Amino acid sequence: MSAPAAPASTTAAPAPDLVATVVRLKLSLLRNGLRQSSGRRAAYVASAVLTLVFAALLLLGLVALRGHAHAVSLVVLLVAVFAVGWAVMPLFFPGGDETLDPTRLVMLPLRPLPLVRALLVASLVGIGPLLTLLVLAGSVVAVAHGAAAWTVGVLAVALGLLVCVALARAVAAANIRLLTSRKGRDLAVLSGLVIAVGVQFVNFGVQRLGSSGLGELDPTAAVLRWLPPASAVGAVHSVSEGDYGVAAAQLAVSAAALALLVTAWARSMTRLMTSPDGSTLQAAEPAAQKRRGRAGPARLLPGGRTGTVMERSLRYVWRDPKTKAAWVTSLAIGLIVPVFNALQGTGSIYFACFAAGMLGIQMYNQFGQDTSAFWMVAMTISSTRDAYDELRARALALLLITLPYATAVTVLTTALLGDWAKLPEVLGLSLALLGAMLATGAWTSARFPYSIPQEGYKNVAPGQAGLAWIAVFGGMVSAALLCAPVIAVTIWLNVSEGGDAWTWLLLPGGAVYGAGVTLLGLRLAAPRTASRLPEILSAVSKG
Amino acid sequence: MTSVRVRNLWKRFGQQVAVAGIDLDLPSGKFIGLVGPNGAGKTTTLSMVTGLLRPDQGSVEVVGHDVWRDPVEVKARIGVLPEGLRLFERLSGRELLSYSGRLRGLPGAEVDKRATQLLDVLDLAGAQHKLVVDYSTGMRKKIGLAAALLHNPEVLFLDEPFEGVDPVSAQIIRGVLERYTASGATVVFSSHVMELVESLCDWVAVMAAGRIRAHGTLEEVRGAAPSLQRAFLELVGAQGRDTGSDLDWLGGAGR
Repeated sequence: MSAPAAPASTTAAPAPDLVATVVRLKLSLLRNGLRQSSGRRAAYVASAVLTLVFAALLLLGLVALRGHAHAVSLVVLLVAVFAVGWAVMPLFFPGGDETLDPTRLVMLPLRPLPLVRALLVASLVGIGPLLTLLVLAGSVVAVAHGAAAWTVGVLAVALGLLVCVALARAVAAANIRLLTSRKGRDLAVLSGLVIAVGVQFVNFGVQRLGSSGLGELDPTAAVLRWLPPASAVGAVHSVSEGDYGVAAAQLAVSAAALALLVTAWARSMTRLMTSPDGSTLQAAEPAAQKRRGRAGPARLLPGGRTGTVMERSLRYVWRDPKTKAAWVTSLAIGLIVPVFNALQGTGSIYFACFAAGMLGIQMYNQFGQDTSAFWMVAMTISSTRDAYDELRARALALLLITLPYATAVTVLTTALLGDWAKLPEVLGLSLALLGAMLATGAWTSARFPYSIPQEGYKNVAPGQAGLAWIAVFGGMVSAALLCAPVIAVTIWLNVSEGGDAWTWLLLPGGAVYGAGVTLLGLRLAAPRTASRLPEILSAVSKG
Repeated sequence: MTSVRVRNLWKRFGQQVAVAGIDLDLPSGKFIGLVGPNGAGKTTTLSMVTGLLRPDQGSVEVVGHDVWRDPVEVKARIGVLPEGLRLFERLSGRELLSYSGRLRGLPGAEVDKRATQLLDVLDLAGAQHKLVVDYSTGMRKKIGLAAALLHNPEVLFLDEPFEGVDPVSAQIIRGVLERYTASGATVVFSSHVMELVESLCDWVAVMAAGRIRAHGTLEEVRGAAPSLQRAFLELVGAQGRDTGSDLDWLGGAGR
């Protein structure tokens, strides 16, 4: 079926009614959501205004682009980027649109096809579709020349918008099954990283583009103009050039994509509505390999509490989605910032300390990472000595990853900049910073613990945001202050005459300083942990 | 012999008084039930007795040692299965037991031996390599019980151990607990299911609105009432609440 753009034009008996009902449902959900709190209302209005301003600017820019030789390349790329955005959006905000979730409509006596139609129309209501509409219209303005092109342009805008919306719906429906299973939710948490890391790459790409002009886009655009929904806009350009055959083919590609998406969506919706929820099915995992007790590399860990805690911490880095996401973000940003800056020639070798700093953050809120399972730890800590062993083991587990990683990043940055003489002092600074982060991290873990909600994307439970900020920012400032002696010596050796000959001393100096500060931090954190176990447990059990 | 001695125990959460001055002596070597409706303060009391929640006032002694002043002696002698708190769910069942046992300082080989036996008895051997996050409620309670028993404690505190547990798992848990008390250890568990408490316990404390309403052997608490359920309803004053006269349309014969 091809989706009708206007709800009233459908003649199927129950459909117009259903379309109107679903659109009204969407509007009420939106209104009620905003009624809940003034903060949410303000946020919605602000984001709407921002979006409109952004859309207006884009529109102006696109209109100004009219007549530019490479206009079509940019326009096609822009539409493609929007389409990707539409495809990715439901993965990040599965609960963002409640009309999106057909499992909520399962109990109603509805057939899939009218429902698909109604939901498609309902999804055209909102800020996102409006922004997309304006961008598509602007794109057509930028490339349309002649009456025929304008006519095709109107068709292209409608087609493009419907493809975007249907794409989002199809992806969402396909993923609801995934999102209702444990594995799927784990994946969704991890997907937050894609943004964090992706932004760095986009930033890098834009900088390159800025230096070499729009012509750079042409090869990419040559492919994109055949991919829906960008092909609809490509068709407008082709008509302007007089290539009617090409234009027809491009339009057909978009129309076919729309039909395909709607069919796929209807299919997965039917499956969703007639088969049990993924969460009630047993996760059919193959019986894991028979391992007994400690095996593999775990055997190399020390015995007693230290090895036990290290093993658990390291397992959680890999298995717990929240912990894993935090680690991967830290590892990625700790690498990207110094290395990309070095690649662009703008970097300082001191950026290499970024890796140590980013990874040191993982020592913060150690007990919050345990969630309320911290009670199992609390039940076994009965003295300051136990608390010290627990904290030291967690710091050791962290060092097992951090120490080689920070060293590797520092060496890589140095190699890229070719400044080998500075390697010892930068490494020394990194180690001192890492030590200071571990020390302040251990102390704030005991003093300012807060919950990390396990569901969704938030990393702080409601009401504890202030606490989290105090812990992380206060801790980072203190860590910087703790490093001050090492930084002072570095500066002094660099500015004083003949000091360069002695900068190698900063490597052992920084290492010893970092280790000393860490031990001191653990010593101070241990009695606090031991005496505040119930308070820590109640702080990390919220949400 | 008393295993747990509670004196003048208080806990407030803001305006609400959750536990309002409890005095209680629990005999050792018995299967003890702490019963009461939802919100009576059972979980709060058990959390304070086991050292997971700091009381506003009052003292708790377990096997002769103060919970707050002498945690070294107490924590080694008790096993706990709390309600509403997570486990380290990203470990498999076996890894969780191995972690828990080693954290308590038991030798590794002994932990592995006991874990294998507990997993077998609790019918979890088939799921021992599955992550706890994928366990059902009954399996979670069973692995939690295994972790609480691993270090062979003198007193076991279980908060709602049968809540949401299927009959087969419940029977297994019962069997393990009966074997455990038969050897002289003490089990203290909370529940709001009277039939269960009546069939399992030989000593009962009835709690309502943050206070102990009655305590003693099952016979003493039951008194002249035909069942613990009746005795309990009389104690908390919930008798004679009849819903029959309203809802007269309710019968399932259409709209």
